[in-house]
Amino acid sequence: MTADPIRKVVIVGGGTAGWMAAAGLSKAVGAYPGLTIELVESEAIGTVGVGEATIPQILVFNRMLGLDEDEFVRETHATYKLGIEFVDWTRPGHRYIHPFGFYGIDMMGVEFHHHWLKGRLLGDTSELDDYSISAVAAKAGKFARPRNDNPNSPLARLGYAFQFDAGRYARYLRRRSEGAGVVRTEGRIVRVEQDPESGFVTGVVLESGHRVEGDLFIDCSGFRGLLIAQTLGVGFEDWSHWLPCDRAVAIPCTLAGDTQPLTRSTARPAGWQWRIPLQHRIGNGHVYCSAHIGEDEATALLLANLDGTPLAEPNQLRFLAGHRREAWVKNVVALGLAGGFLEPLESTAIHLVQAGIARLMSLFPTRRFSAAEIERYNRQTVQDYIDIRDFLVLHYSATERDDSEFWRYCRNIEPPDGLKDKLEMFRSSGRVFREHNELFTETSWLSAMVGQGIEPGGYHPVADLLPDAETLKRLQHIREVIARTVEQMPAQEDFLRTHASAIDLGARLPA
Amino acid sequence: MSGSDHAVRKVVIVGGGTAGWMAAAAFSRFLADGRREIVLVESDEIGAVGVGEATIPPILNFNRMLEIDENEFLRETQGTFKLGVEFVGWGRQGDRYLHPFGAFGQDLHGIPFHQLWLRERERGSPGAIGEYSMSAMAASQGRFGRPRPDLGAPLSQLFYAFQFDASLYARFLRRFAERNGVVRREGLISSVVRDGDSGDVAAVVLKSGEQVAGDLFIDCSGFRALLIEQELGTGFEDWSHWLPMDRAFAVPTANVGPPHPFTRATAHSSGWQWRIPLQHRTGNGHVFSSRFIGEDEARAVLLGNLDSAPLAEPRLIRFATGMRRLAWNHNVVALGLSSGFLEPIESTSIHLIQNGIARLLALFPDRRISPLERDEYNRGMRDLYEDVRDFIILHYKATQRDDSEFWRYVGGMDVPDALARKIELWRLHGRIFREGAELFGVTSWVAVLLGQNIEPLNYDPIVDSLDPGKVAMAMAQMRNEYAAAARALPDQEQFLRMANAWAPADPRAAMLGAA
Repeated sequence: MTADPIRKVVIVGGGTAGWMAAAGLSKAVGAYPGLTIELVESEAIGTVGVGEATIPQILVFNRMLGLDEDEFVRETHATYKLGIEFVDWTRPGHRYIHPFGFYGIDMMGVEFHHHWLKGRLLGDTSELDDYSISAVAAKAGKFARPRNDNPNSPLARLGYAFQFDAGRYARYLRRRSEGAGVVRTEGRIVRVEQDPESGFVTGVVLESGHRVEGDLFIDCSGFRGLLIAQTLGVGFEDWSHWLPCDRAVAIPCTLAGDTQPLTRSTARPAGWQWRIPLQHRIGNGHVYCSAHIGEDEATALLLANLDGTPLAEPNQLRFLAGHRREAWVKNVVALGLAGGFLEPLESTAIHLVQAGIARLMSLFPTRRFSAAEIERYNRQTVQDYIDIRDFLVLHYSATERDDSEFWRYCRNIEPPDGLKDKLEMFRSSGRVFREHNELFTETSWLSAMVGQGIEPGGYHPVADLLPDAETLKRLQHIREVIARTVEQMPAQEDFLRTHASAIDLGARLPA
Repeated sequence: MSGSDHAVRKVVIVGGGTAGWMAAAAFSRFLADGRREIVLVESDEIGAVGVGEATIPPILNFNRMLEIDENEFLRETQGTFKLGVEFVGWGRQGDRYLHPFGAFGQDLHGIPFHQLWLRERERGSPGAIGEYSMSAMAASQGRFGRPRPDLGAPLSQLFYAFQFDASLYARFLRRFAERNGVVRREGLISSVVRDGDSGDVAAVVLKSGEQVAGDLFIDCSGFRALLIEQELGTGFEDWSHWLPMDRAFAVPTANVGPPHPFTRATAHSSGWQWRIPLQHRTGNGHVFSSRFIGEDEARAVLLGNLDSAPLAEPRLIRFATGMRRLAWNHNVVALGLSSGFLEPIESTSIHLIQNGIARLLALFPDRRISPLERDEYNRGMRDLYEDVRDFIILHYKATQRDDSEFWRYVGGMDVPDALARKIELWRLHGRIFREGAELFGVTSWVAVLLGQNIEPLNYDPIVDSLDPGKVAMAMAQMRNEYAAAARALPDQEQFLRMANAWAPADPRAAMLGAA
């Protein structure tokens, strides 16, 4: 047995992050001898949770938890998600898809897109989307799980994630966590107690006077950062000069009869609007920059752009783009909004929580809390934020829009260095490199760079090993195989029904 | 823009050793589109450094890329299989451990196997960690079999590389490259012509007066670094304060038995000795630091530690450890010894060439050569060089030897920050993290650290979430499976012969035939 083991983990806050942490920890260290996990939350405090869209990495988390995917989809009223459609971002009237999975197929050892770029110069007018099975299926409202038994099938190159009701997701994970022994304590925290010498958090005191003590505290208290910020005073790295949006207004509405397994992001004069279709409703929100539009106007713009009838009052949110300088200080680890915030443009919020949990597992401490391990956790966490930030900034800085003060500001944002290098590389030669296992793949970068109208200055010379006619023939063949495969795929609605993951139709709200 | 006026139409490779012919072979496969010329200039008057070469598993990718038939390749290069490197006398005199290819054991619930082993060692007697490596078990019995992924564990966990005669390898690749259209020019280079405006290399001039012009030059001229240094003055970053070796004596010996499927590195008082068993002979060499031992003495150490009589005079090789500041400068890309040198203790020389080639193909330029792409190449090569450097430094730093000035120096030296962090994380809870595209994985680090007696204070506490009894049972089962799978393999020579990978001109076979 390890010396000085952690005996008690206290999770502060029970939103998405808190219950993800509870589920993850109880799965990974639930059997740890003598360890208890307690989650403190108050029903009096609302959670931010709106409709949540995710990225394919969530499959890894689900697998780690041992979730049955159909059950998970049913319980959270989820739909599948094959990518994100960006509308009006490059210029009004323009749209492109950031699909999951991969484009086409690599040939001659060179990534597919170089062959596509060559084809374009030869007069081929096909879109990059035509070579992504996820994009083609999404447009057709189709869904099937990828097949790994046949690497030659386009289905092996399909990637997917989910869109679900965050409130239901938290409740679902709560049931599982409690089943695995996590203790939930109801109550508002009124005081945090620290060791006078070390400053380590020793316990939190509830309104009732009840004290919850622990060895390791996970701060999932949301924007407040009750432990990490209010108690330990860890500062915040402000990135609002790169990502100036600082408000959102969210509202659910009734379904509109569409069935595309896609999240949609539509650019607005001072921000953008999300649209996340679930099984029982559509989640909508308007992310905006308060320096360029007022709350009333932003809310009115959202309400004027709903595809269904509102199902609730608009929910106003304030935030700041950036991250806590250190996510782990002393015996407190911040997860979720307590650790930082990046607007949900690429659906990365849940991923950041999941990555934090996985990293905590790989560096699970003892009560000795060693500096080298904490340093590593923090260094890598900051890198995650930087990688995502750069990808988000791309959407704003690479735009032709100059129809509002906001977009004129965005066009002139000086991109961070990493992004600048990526842009230059692509502009000069059509090359895209994924650095240090960064979250977003070559597919993601390519879709966004091509989508946002960046013109590559060339393609890989090895693509010329294929004679021109052969290149065009193969491009056409790939398109046809994808189109034929998509024809055979079931509609998302049918897939949900046959996999018993559709919720009871009676529970659905009228469209 | 590729396919237009700016395309590189002529690539000139300067030098025809291992690096030159590896580049020529790869380019002939990937860059010969009928419009591009690939020329290699070499002189028979200049010898190549090539001695017995050992490799690491990524070489299989290079062979696959070139669609090389593995049995033919072994036959042609007097090659043997290599399952790892045996280190003798590194942690302490008398110590011995194997750095095997492939993983140790199977991870359970996402927890790395070595963590399970670390705990089990405190509770019971799980045996040496090498008993959980398919490659190590096969190596210890001199056996070999190709991994069969379809059969699952344990045989799918066997990883291997090769040991071969470097000059035969160059000849083998030369045939490949020439078959695919590479033109070889015989001749000594007497001068270099530069473009007046850009400073790029425009042509190399042969002693005959003939000019060989090109758009892109690959400097494979070895330590001389004819273009990258002598012509472009790129500069060299010296790492000898971490790795003070600067000389080697190399000598071949006859095999005294069937060749072992592993390389051996034996520590001496001021350096170490390699032993690379090929089909027809064994390559030996003593790598040493002239700061700590004289040449005559180093030569005597080598001759005093051979398995059999030397087949030639020991040959002295001088080098400096470090890397060219830029592997790609102007329109010159240095590959092989012209780009830098790291002692062959982990058999990385060929990998550095191979990686440079793959990277150059991924970033293959047009004649305008974008600085951004060149920077990307140089950054990637630097990362790789530094990763390998740090792993090599570990072998010296992680020692308890204090029997010579040399060992006291390396044991006490400061190491690069990234390496210090790695060692610290290991010491705390036995954790190893592979950063980015790092060449050496968890098994490699664990093998060397444990093999050289660097013990973690604790195992990863998360292991305690697994039931010890169940883990012990699972481990016992793995151990039995590796042992049984190894026993079922043929010995390596038998395997090579069955696979028709044994070179035909085998003096021993001839003698047997006569008897």
